[in-house]
Amino acid sequence: MTEENNKKEEPKQQTAEEKTEEYLNNWKRERADFLNYKKDEARRVEEFVKFANKDLILEMIELVDDLEIASKEVPGVGLEQVTKKFQDLFKKYGVERIKMGNKLEPAIHEVIETEPGGNKMKEVRAGYTMRSKIIRPVRVRIIK
Amino acid sequence: MAKILGIDLGTTNSAMAVVEIGQPRILENKEGMRTTPSIVAIGKNGERYIGVTAKRQAVTNPANTIFSVKRLIGRRYDDAEVQRDKALLPYEIRKGSSGDVEVKLGNEWKKPAEISAMILQKLKADAEDKLGEKITEAIITVPAYFDDAQRKATKDAGEIAGLTVKRVINEPTAAALAYGFNKKKDEKIVVYDFGGGTFDISVLEVSEDTIEVKATGGDTHLGGDDIDQRIIQHFISEFKKESGMDVSKDQLVVQRLKDAAEKAKHELSSTLQTEVNIPFLTADSFGPKHFTMSFTRAKLEELVRDLVGKSIELTKKTVQEAGLKMSDIHEVVMVGGQTRMPLIVEEVKKLFGKEPHKDINPDEVVALGAAVQGGIMQGDIRDVLLLDVTPLSLGIETLGGVMTKMLEKNTTVPVSKSQIFSTAADNQPSVEIHVLQGERAMATDNKTLGRFILDGIPPSPRGGPQIEVSFDIDANGILNVKAKDKATGKEQSVRIEGSSGLSDEEKKRMTADAEKFAAEDAKKKELAEARNMGETLAYTTEKMVKDNESKIKDDDKKELNAKMEKVRKAVKGDNVDEIKKATEELSKSAQRIGGELYKQTNNSQPTTNNAEKTEEKSESEAKS
Repeated sequence: MTEENNKKEEPKQQTAEEKTEEYLNNWKRERADFLNYKKDEARRVEEFVKFANKDLILEMIELVDDLEIASKEVPGVGLEQVTKKFQDLFKKYGVERIKMGNKLEPAIHEVIETEPGGNKMKEVRAGYTMRSKIIRPVRVRIIK
Repeated sequence: MAKILGIDLGTTNSAMAVVEIGQPRILENKEGMRTTPSIVAIGKNGERYIGVTAKRQAVTNPANTIFSVKRLIGRRYDDAEVQRDKALLPYEIRKGSSGDVEVKLGNEWKKPAEISAMILQKLKADAEDKLGEKITEAIITVPAYFDDAQRKATKDAGEIAGLTVKRVINEPTAAALAYGFNKKKDEKIVVYDFGGGTFDISVLEVSEDTIEVKATGGDTHLGGDDIDQRIIQHFISEFKKESGMDVSKDQLVVQRLKDAAEKAKHELSSTLQTEVNIPFLTADSFGPKHFTMSFTRAKLEELVRDLVGKSIELTKKTVQEAGLKMSDIHEVVMVGGQTRMPLIVEEVKKLFGKEPHKDINPDEVVALGAAVQGGIMQGDIRDVLLLDVTPLSLGIETLGGVMTKMLEKNTTVPVSKSQIFSTAADNQPSVEIHVLQGERAMATDNKTLGRFILDGIPPSPRGGPQIEVSFDIDANGILNVKAKDKATGKEQSVRIEGSSGLSDEEKKRMTADAEKFAAEDAKKKELAEARNMGETLAYTTEKMVKDNESKIKDDDKKELNAKMEKVRKAVKGDNVDEIKKATEELSKSAQRIGGELYKQTNNSQPTTNNAEKTEEKSESEAKS
């Protein structure tokens, strides 16, 4: 099938008029391509700007993970307040912690371990959204 | 015209791309990612997951999560490969009625092609969503060693997904296409593909209008995942040495080590040392245990040297099987994320004695090449227009011998650009336009393409006249430089043919010079700019004094004159700091005295001159 497509057609004589027509059409196409590209590019830039901080935020979230573990291990020394400050800062940039829920949804949950016969979820690492888009899923363990 | 989707249907991950305005571009999936895990799953309630969602629930649903189906597609159940992989796969497979493989997904037995079709379907839907148009045609890539049955099954998968598969092409061929090597007649190309789970090596030969596979080799069970495993094992043993605790059975801990391993691996591709720092990794009866260690690139390389060495041995063997010597190879192309590792680049370079190509993202190069193939096929209908670029920057000489760029290097032609310049002295009757080519900061270090003089400029103070200089390069590469006095409409121009007619060596030398002398040039430019600023300020201050002869106090005049003198003396020398200091001092005094003047004549009216000027300007702009 593909071989047939490859066969070159007999070269036919083109009149000047046909050529003009072809060139004009190609030019129009090129213009249209360019204008459409510009529109797409504008959309992409908009999206890019919206999520430009994403990588930095993700690295900061890792620090907050550590703080959260630390405040559980060593409660009452003010680490909770520091964590809270981070969460407030995140909110300012449209970053929010995902509520775990109680039904497994792979769109927001990432399972890293399952206890045999388990059917409940336990959060082991928080998930986050940025401007309603998931930037990190909630890590869960399935437990009994 | 509908776009043809280029699809890299990988063992671990897949990617897709389309050609837009002659250039291939990766399309992100619905989740916003540039690659999609090649995984399909059926949940407990029959819901279907494809891609990253399937991956996220794999641990809790291993029997119904199908990954690496590419290892099974188009194969016979009795194949040694299938029998070997069977033990490694947590899902069930069986022999189909025609001797092929069947996979159990939920309560149904499916052909591997049907599983691949689900992945393709998702890619198709996500692409349509992204582009806002229907996609009906695709180019799909397969490993070069795939036989007819495997190719046919891959094609079937596409058709099941509702795609007309215009062609099934080899992954290494796609990579070569992405680099445009299909135009390199009679060249021999090696594609080194170190993926997540497989290592493939291919030797290609480019002839008149085909790319032929001369030999293939590799290891279907060698990849970046093995490297990750080595790092994790190293972390586990280091932690054991430090704390005496074995954490290898604790999935939560292993997961955190895995995250850190991946991060460290990425970082060590660009730095020589990184810090692994995991607080509260675990705890014993004495309290929490943290994990901190410094991890060097040298250590990482030591951990995986044998794996990389194995790939190099396989590469040697394959090139020899193609009946070639290492020195016969013209180009080496890197594919697969793991090839970002400096050790791999170094070893491959050592083997072939030449720098491998790695400019295109190695995770995306195959999909991009598939899109290029689609573009070539569409080119049958509409000729692809090839456009040249300017090999070096073009500009003119301005005050202080500085090269002012008008068109940056690598600008696509045809192109035109204009900018307004002015005079540098009072009553200057003419300006010289000195057309230059090159990357250096100072005019004298660049190549002169031509010069001409625009005269008949009516007497006016410096900075007054508006001289519009325009550069135009047509589709044939002919440069036209025009200067026009906006007040009189007088113009002069020069036509320069073959402005890009530089030999490759010349281009290379000029670009290399620009890099070599960048620091020196920056200094020269800074000096020229400082001088210009000093001179301009001295000039405007002098004018202010002259215009307000009676209003400025004698002491102030004396102060200004002394400082002007200092600036004019400084600009004759070449001490940038001195010029800047003198200019700043003059600026301070001039601002203070100017401010006082302003207070005195607070209620002066704006002149009508301004209005006339604006009108004139907009008129001439409309004309051009």
